Amino acid sequence: MLQEETVIHHHAHHFTSANHEFEAAKQGMWIFLVTEVLMFGGLFVAYGLFRGLYPEMFHEAHQHLAVHMGALNTVVLITSSLTMALSVSSAQKGHKVSSVRYLVLTLILACCFLGVKYFEYSHKFHDGLLPGGFFTNTEIKSPKASLFFSLYFMMTGLHGIHVLIGMGVISWILRRTLRGEFGPSYYTPIELVGLYWHFVDLVWIYLFPLLYLVG
Amino acid sequence: MGSTSQKHHHILPTKTALTIGALLLVLTAITVWIAHIDLGPFNFVIATAVATLKASLVALYFMNLKYESSENRMIFITSFLFLAIFIVLTATDLFFRQEVSVHGTFIAEGSSQSKLKKPWVSTPELVAHGKEIYAIQCVACHGLEGKGNGPAAAALNPAPRNFEAVDGWKNGRKPTMVFKTLKEGLPPSSMASYATLPADDRWALTHYVLSLHPQVEVDSPADFARVGIDPNQESVQEKEDPKISIELAMSQLAHAESGMERGAHLYHSRFEQVQEGPFIGKYLYQKHCLECHGDHGKGGIKVSVLGVYPVAFVATHPLNQQSPSMNSQEVFNQAVIRGIPGNLMPGYGNLSSSELKGLYQYLKAENE
Repeated sequence: MLQEETVIHHHAHHFTSANHEFEAAKQGMWIFLVTEVLMFGGLFVAYGLFRGLYPEMFHEAHQHLAVHMGALNTVVLITSSLTMALSVSSAQKGHKVSSVRYLVLTLILACCFLGVKYFEYSHKFHDGLLPGGFFTNTEIKSPKASLFFSLYFMMTGLHGIHVLIGMGVISWILRRTLRGEFGPSYYTPIELVGLYWHFVDLVWIYLFPLLYLVG
Repeated sequence: MGSTSQKHHHILPTKTALTIGALLLVLTAITVWIAHIDLGPFNFVIATAVATLKASLVALYFMNLKYESSENRMIFITSFLFLAIFIVLTATDLFFRQEVSVHGTFIAEGSSQSKLKKPWVSTPELVAHGKEIYAIQCVACHGLEGKGNGPAAAALNPAPRNFEAVDGWKNGRKPTMVFKTLKEGLPPSSMASYATLPADDRWALTHYVLSLHPQVEVDSPADFARVGIDPNQESVQEKEDPKISIELAMSQLAHAESGMERGAHLYHSRFEQVQEGPFIGKYLYQKHCLECHGDHGKGGIKVSVLGVYPVAFVATHPLNQQSPSMNSQEVFNQAVIRGIPGNLMPGYGNLSSSELKGLYQYLKAENE
């Protein structure tokens, strides 16, 4: 356990204090997350309207998604959110080793998530359950079922891209943590990456019941 | 060393983090479990409620929103407020938009009141008359025997109704409902409105297609009431309210002073570039004619719209200069409005004269 009393972070000259800088950065992150809500929001609106228009089609099409895979991924992502939160609080307390450990755990869980997604996607590709004109499945009778898979791939795809980006920024703060750049006096990047990662979890929390558990 | 004020920042206790994590997993299990119980529409409500609870836990504790400044809290929550506005307004528009038409004296006297006595009662004469009209207006899609397998059927999804089967009729098999279908069509399917046929012809068609299956369904007083018919009266007092689309009415109002004809401005709002004649013609051609006459009037069904195997072709007449219908605008109009009996060509009686003109010009231009 290292008390990072040696951490020195000079706040940028246009801020009055380190705290001022931290608060500004955090507010920027929240505003970014607002734009994220609205970006995913468009897809959720499309989902809601099409589900309202074609409830039977949604019911039939969703049965071709693997609920156990989706549930597993929910557990994986929630756990990764927990490890991320623990990593942030470890960094805030100056516990570098456990912060690193939790970041690595988070990365591993993110890989698991994408691994499960890979199996799901390849299964869909194999069955011809693809968006729009690429839809070639013959088992589903609803003529508009390709719409469901358009939404499925758009929503989980955009989410998957977010997971990938998340892994990138987590790797970045992991490197910086290993270099001893963070401690109780400066942990802004790790906290902000934490916010982003929890948001990715938050989106999946809605995607799972909406796509996999259509009543 | 930097400012120590970050130390005042709330740090999530490990115990709380673990509790929230465990709670989230339990809620996930509950979601999956409840989804296996059929509660009708409540499944969706519960799933969304549980997801919102989970999302709140993540936001409040993991994202520290509980101890966040009220400013940031407001910023984040506002995004959901706007999302809610987005959802509610769009859904209201989509699901509660009433008929997109206005009442007015705009359309011609194409539709008429029934002159027959009690036309809702099937008679052999009506059925025979219906068969004649059927052969002109309906065979192309519904087939000679009403099996829904006409030459154009291959291109249509959903497939045309098979009148020999009892099940699956969108509005049911009661005479008033079939009459209603003929009047209003079945959007968004390819079943068009035949409101331009005289009402008596529509009753005749109704009885003919119903005669293709022995099972008879009788209208209840409520059914009659729904279409505005008093079965105790001798003839139909059905109100044929003239209706046109709001879009058209608006453009008519906007151009009332210049006395522009209907059609020419119908497509103003839909397309940025408005060209007269041939442009409208192209739009109408693609909407009504392409399925049978193929791309650019060359004949045959456009292969890419076929959803069946083996691929079926219909040897439709190429619409070039040699086609007798292309001799003059007048002959063309007659063929399009009335259809060509015995040639599978249905009539499109609700086109305006400028629309017919545009269609004719388009085909002329295509064949030059």
